[in-house]
Amino acid sequence: MSPENPEINEKSSNKQILHQAIFNTAVVAGIFSIIVFGLLVVNYLQVRLLDPMRTERLEYLKLQLAEKPTDEQILTQIRQLDLQIRKDKISRLNFSHQGAILLVAGIIIFISAAKIAADLKRKLPMPQPAHDIQTKQVRHVTLARWSIVSFLVLTGVFAVLFAVTKKVDFSQGSSSYPSEEQINKNWPRFRGPQGSGISFYTNIPTKWDGKTGKGIIWKTKVPLPGNNSPVIWDDKIFLCGANKNQRQVYCFDRIKGRLIWQKDVTTAIPDGNIPDIEEATSYAAPTMTTDGKRVFAIFPLGDVACFDFKGKNIWNKNLGLPHSMYGYATSLEMYQNLLIIQYDQASADDGKSRIFALDAFSGNTVWEVKRPVGGSWTTPIVAKIGEQHQLITCADPCVISYNPSNGAEIWRAECVSGDLAPSPIYAGDFVFAVSPYNKLSAIKPDGAGDVTKSHIAWTVEGDIPDISSPVSDGKYIYLATTEGILSCIQISDGKKLWFKDVREEFNASPSIVGKYVYLICTDGTAIIIESAEEYREIARNELGEEVFASPAFADGRIYIRSEEYLYCIGNTN
Amino acid sequence: MISSRYITIPIIFLLLCTQTLWAVERFPPPDFVETDHKLPSTDYITDVTPRLVLYEYIDVAVLAGTLSLASYLVLKNRSRRAIFALMIFSLLYFGFWRKGCICSIGSIQNLVLSVFSNSYVIPLTVLAFFILPLAFTLFFGRTFCAAVCPLGAIQDVVLLRQLVLPKWLESGLRLCAYLYLGAAVLFASTDSAFIICRYDPFVAFFRLTGRLNMMILGACLLVIGVFIGRPYCRFLCPYGVILRQFSRLSRWHATITPDECIKCRLCEDACPFNAINTPTAPWPASNYRKSKIAITSILIISPVIIFLAVLLGASISDSWSKMNPTVRLAERIYLENNGMVEGTINESVAFRSAGTPVSELYQQASIIKNQFKFGGRLLGGFIGFVISLMLINNSIQRRREDYQTDRAGCVSCGRCFQFCPKEQERLKKLKEQSA
Repeated sequence: MSPENPEINEKSSNKQILHQAIFNTAVVAGIFSIIVFGLLVVNYLQVRLLDPMRTERLEYLKLQLAEKPTDEQILTQIRQLDLQIRKDKISRLNFSHQGAILLVAGIIIFISAAKIAADLKRKLPMPQPAHDIQTKQVRHVTLARWSIVSFLVLTGVFAVLFAVTKKVDFSQGSSSYPSEEQINKNWPRFRGPQGSGISFYTNIPTKWDGKTGKGIIWKTKVPLPGNNSPVIWDDKIFLCGANKNQRQVYCFDRIKGRLIWQKDVTTAIPDGNIPDIEEATSYAAPTMTTDGKRVFAIFPLGDVACFDFKGKNIWNKNLGLPHSMYGYATSLEMYQNLLIIQYDQASADDGKSRIFALDAFSGNTVWEVKRPVGGSWTTPIVAKIGEQHQLITCADPCVISYNPSNGAEIWRAECVSGDLAPSPIYAGDFVFAVSPYNKLSAIKPDGAGDVTKSHIAWTVEGDIPDISSPVSDGKYIYLATTEGILSCIQISDGKKLWFKDVREEFNASPSIVGKYVYLICTDGTAIIIESAEEYREIARNELGEEVFASPAFADGRIYIRSEEYLYCIGNTN
Repeated sequence: MISSRYITIPIIFLLLCTQTLWAVERFPPPDFVETDHKLPSTDYITDVTPRLVLYEYIDVAVLAGTLSLASYLVLKNRSRRAIFALMIFSLLYFGFWRKGCICSIGSIQNLVLSVFSNSYVIPLTVLAFFILPLAFTLFFGRTFCAAVCPLGAIQDVVLLRQLVLPKWLESGLRLCAYLYLGAAVLFASTDSAFIICRYDPFVAFFRLTGRLNMMILGACLLVIGVFIGRPYCRFLCPYGVILRQFSRLSRWHATITPDECIKCRLCEDACPFNAINTPTAPWPASNYRKSKIAITSILIISPVIIFLAVLLGASISDSWSKMNPTVRLAERIYLENNGMVEGTINESVAFRSAGTPVSELYQQASIIKNQFKFGGRLLGGFIGFVISLMLINNSIQRRREDYQTDRAGCVSCGRCFQFCPKEQERLKKLKEQSA
């Protein structure tokens, strides 16, 4: 500061004061902004940490309420917690908005003050003598070229990294559902592919003895009871079991019989509303199904569950408690990506029967059709008839065929009555429907609309089953009544070729393996007869345990669910 | 004197931290499961009245007005303060008031989509936002960047400590903008995404809300912008790539001196954007031959560079095609169908519920993938061509006698005016005349 020029000194001093004032303003604005920012961070952390914890608590309370819907205390807690969460969210949101405005204002003041302060202290340019411009020019040109080439190289590296990411080839395995060949080689639903009861494999044993263990490869206890039959995909077997309080899905190792996983399925039906179901039906009557990647189960309370093969629960759904006299027992069917559920209940006049097609991936309803029928216990089948797939259902009073893609009705035939349990089959260009204790009808499935008068080729009466479903090799159809009468009918004209009282009782449906018919009696005896126009018994094998489920077949093996165990029968050598 | 750390450290800290500001979750809709209460059909989104078309024309008028004023201030008035004031107005109007949309930078995509898609017609106002800055640049240089573009303005405002990057480094970094432009055109032409808008780093600040990752990106760019002038404009802006080429051809352009350059060197460090070309020394004779060899070599290897870039473009096309929603959905469906992912997403559930055959979706996705393959090659070729041109450009020995603005790189901010003694002389004369 020069003492000789007071005017300059004064100006300089004023500038210094001004600079100090603006600098202080910048500092204050900066501190203010930091404080506001700190409060916003705390607010943000509360949102991120505290709220999810309380939301979890709320979800937990909601689950509790589902189990105890009349509990007023839980309801009050939910309401209070819900209100508190919402209040806090609103207040934090407001705080966040107001804080943001304050912070922006603080930063604007800070930047403005800092800029002015810096401007007041700015030095005038004082260029230094330039040296060696020529060398710098040459160096610049060289470095610029290298810089550009480096960009190319770096881009190339990134491009290579992008290029090595996994590519999807849509031409490979574009279908989300298994092929016909895959389905035939497995046993993905009740009575195997198309519900026909026919084994793809013919190398199935005909001799075993449960008491001595001959031919029994393994047997594994099933934790909970159920009359559903095993389903098989590759090296896994799926079953479900339930009692009044618990529902479970099981996955077994098909080769060694080890229980790989067991998973609970929760129900949306409150404890007090769970009906008593007849023991003969059981709390786990419907057989599961699989699409080769996921496995699906339905229980008589209307709970549908989907698991992947590792046992991860993918989705759950409740269709509402069905009004079923003996307990819901219809098994599941798959068509492409659709899980088909025939949900017949009450009487036809009640109008409660439906058929649902759920998206296998999500459980969402793709289509739903109201059915003019009462309760039934039959399982629908999807059969390829000509070039078209038909979903064939059977319930008092009609056999109805639908388009499985959209649920549109194709034809119906009024030819069944009573409490229907035997499922329809498709064989030898006919759909066969059983009217319990009454008649077997052969329907030509190429009609449209009401085909009652035009497409019923023949009917046959006498020795008609009420529980087990028929089986056919395309030439003959075999029936097994609960009372132990076996009969064989010629498909071409409905002529009964023979009948035989085997003095047993049947609940399980018969199956065909090559040229043999396998029949499992309720006492566990397996009767193997020749598939022919005359009765000829090949073998009778004891299991030593009661059996109500139908068997499943795989390469060289039979899988039978008894009352307590899952048996694997095959060549033990 | 104010110490640099007093300014820079708090700024870095504050700007870096602002990203958490608006990251609070939106209030979820109430849950009325117990009472089966249905929410009213009108909500705050559908109740919003559309903006009047008139306002769009007003926006165009404001754009034309600000461009005219900016051009006048840069070329005639030569006032940095006035340019700065106009820049603040643009920041407030086009940025905070208009929420950064529509903007000329993003309009590239609208234009491209209108060319490639039969179902999209570009609105006239968007077209005006694309054309007007280009037209003004063709006559007056990048006055749009100087005082009209809100993205440029927000970066200009935070520039406190200028750190001049070496020019050679800038040559390489500038290629990012070309790549970004090419990618934006590719994604827009395939109707996949408007990436310029999606990855606009500053729009979240203008709207006081946005995605957390974009907030972080924007904050980072602003922090960098405290030291390095306008990093987005110089190294990323796709519209800037076009403006650069137009600015080279501009009829008039901002000059450092209003008169003649006296080579006082006072303006040498004035430009924070490296847009002042200094006079050159005579090139060494030996370098002349080297330069000729370099140019010849580059001309010979250019096809190789372009071919290599085409290959790289093709190799990334599959990954980039995932930006397209159809391709993304098809891949998701494929993964779900083949058990390669667990669970579903809303899009896949909606697709399955619609009943559209998967094969149809795969076919559409394959078509788009092929478009990307072709587009990726074109993009690679374009980048290869630009690289070749830039290599040649950097091998040419130029002669310059005066300090000049780099017509392509200069954003006409007017910072250099005040450093020129001739400018001070002009202002003094003006003052005297007005007195």
